Amino acid sequence: MKNYLKLVSFELSRFIKIYIALIVVTTVSQFAGVFSQSRNYAATVNQTLQQESFSLNDYFVSYPPLTFINVTVSGWFIIPIIFSAAALVFYSFFIWYRDWFGKNAFIYRLLMLPTNRINLFFSKLTAILLMVLGLVATQLILIPLESALFNQLLPDYLRYNLSTQTIISSSEYLSVLFPDSFIQFLIYYGLGSLVLIVLFTIILFERSFHLKGIVFGGLFGAGTFILMLSPFIIQTKLSPYYLYPIENFAIELFLGIVISIFSIWVSHYLLNKKITV
Amino acid sequence: MIEVKNITKKFGNKKILKGLSFTAKKGEITCLIGINGAGKTTALNAIMNLTPLTSGEILIDGKKLTKESYQTIAFIPDTIAMLSQMTIRQAMHFMKDFYTTWNQERANELLNFFQLTETQKIATLSKGNTAKINLMLGLALDVDYLLMDEPFSGIDIFSREQITSVFTSHLIEDRGVLITTHEISDIEHLIDKVILIDDGIVVKDFNAEDMREQEEKSILDVMREVYVK
Repeated sequence: MKNYLKLVSFELSRFIKIYIALIVVTTVSQFAGVFSQSRNYAATVNQTLQQESFSLNDYFVSYPPLTFINVTVSGWFIIPIIFSAAALVFYSFFIWYRDWFGKNAFIYRLLMLPTNRINLFFSKLTAILLMVLGLVATQLILIPLESALFNQLLPDYLRYNLSTQTIISSSEYLSVLFPDSFIQFLIYYGLGSLVLIVLFTIILFERSFHLKGIVFGGLFGAGTFILMLSPFIIQTKLSPYYLYPIENFAIELFLGIVISIFSIWVSHYLLNKKITV
Repeated sequence: MIEVKNITKKFGNKKILKGLSFTAKKGEITCLIGINGAGKTTALNAIMNLTPLTSGEILIDGKKLTKESYQTIAFIPDTIAMLSQMTIRQAMHFMKDFYTTWNQERANELLNFFQLTETQKIATLSKGNTAKINLMLGLALDVDYLLMDEPFSGIDIFSREQITSVFTSHLIEDRGVLITTHEISDIEHLIDKVILIDDGIVVKDFNAEDMREQEEKSILDVMREVYVK
């Protein structure tokens, strides 16, 4: 356990600079977005009022006031989120391959540590999950701060005040990051973890058997995907609503747990018996 | 004692090891010699469970390798097994963190001997100094067996001399050393046992001292007999 925690800390420290850069880029871009969107909006309103000789009341008959939701759909806001997510997806591969390639083969050291090799798997998995949750938490802190700046930049009559909860539930992207209920949170992040576990096993297949491993890994990935979809595939043959949603959930939960355990067991086997430096 | 028993290893259709068997005892320097592709590195990797075997068995003091074995056997590969962005100090902290057998006093002693400082980054070290740090990271572990893969490969003569002198010091004494090298002349006088391998099998093994005294042949002489036909 101690070695696992040390490895988690080590894995986090290896990505910390890029991770902080992602947080800084997201923060700067989103605040810049709040600033630019609100200033542009104020300028547009002023211009329209002057050109069309509208009164403010007339203006808001034809056009809605700006809300923070408008900011959340802008590129300033979404692109850094997508960029951070893409960086973490890329790092999910790189977290393994960086140890094999490059100037020094660090994988020698990792595999020779006097600890269970599965700890390497769990530490890398934990590091990625913590980084995902860290970014999500950062975003959750940023939204009220950005919303406060938005309220400062625009006078009352040009905007609607919205609560953080309303902002999140109104945004397609944010409602995925911050699901409405804890069950939904478990589903989204549980599925994400499952995908990561299976991906790591596929990488270990490739690292163990090389070209053949890509085929084995591909088959393993496809197999788990089909297995997860199997309750729905079967139901399309029987009847679309053959099972209650809660039954579907229970089956998916069961399958997810079984696939996770099996994938970890396969990874444990590959790391101990098949991996090659 | 390290016992390698009839090990075979295939990479695709190519058989690299074809039933390799040898032993390396504690307190002795055993040298595994062979031309490129003979299977020397694969044999060391197999001992450390860094590559799976097709068949055969490897025992360390009569037991199969487990995670605990890495506290009693250390491998110094031909490339440094540490992150290049680390400083020497960070590399030592990493080792101290994970190995209960890490001996900081010995690490400092080696650093002084090699005239290197803790604050140097591994990435900025010359090839010779990188090899010394690689050696230090292995030698500073209080282990019974040391495996070294080509420790002299591609480094300057002065670094080679410094590394060679380590072999005659107390840092090696009482340990079992299994080494692969091309630069046989540097350590010929230090080797106890020689294992000549070719095409994945042992073609000859002998005690270097006996060979010198009884047959008046150097290791190089025997190598010529075996490899130059």
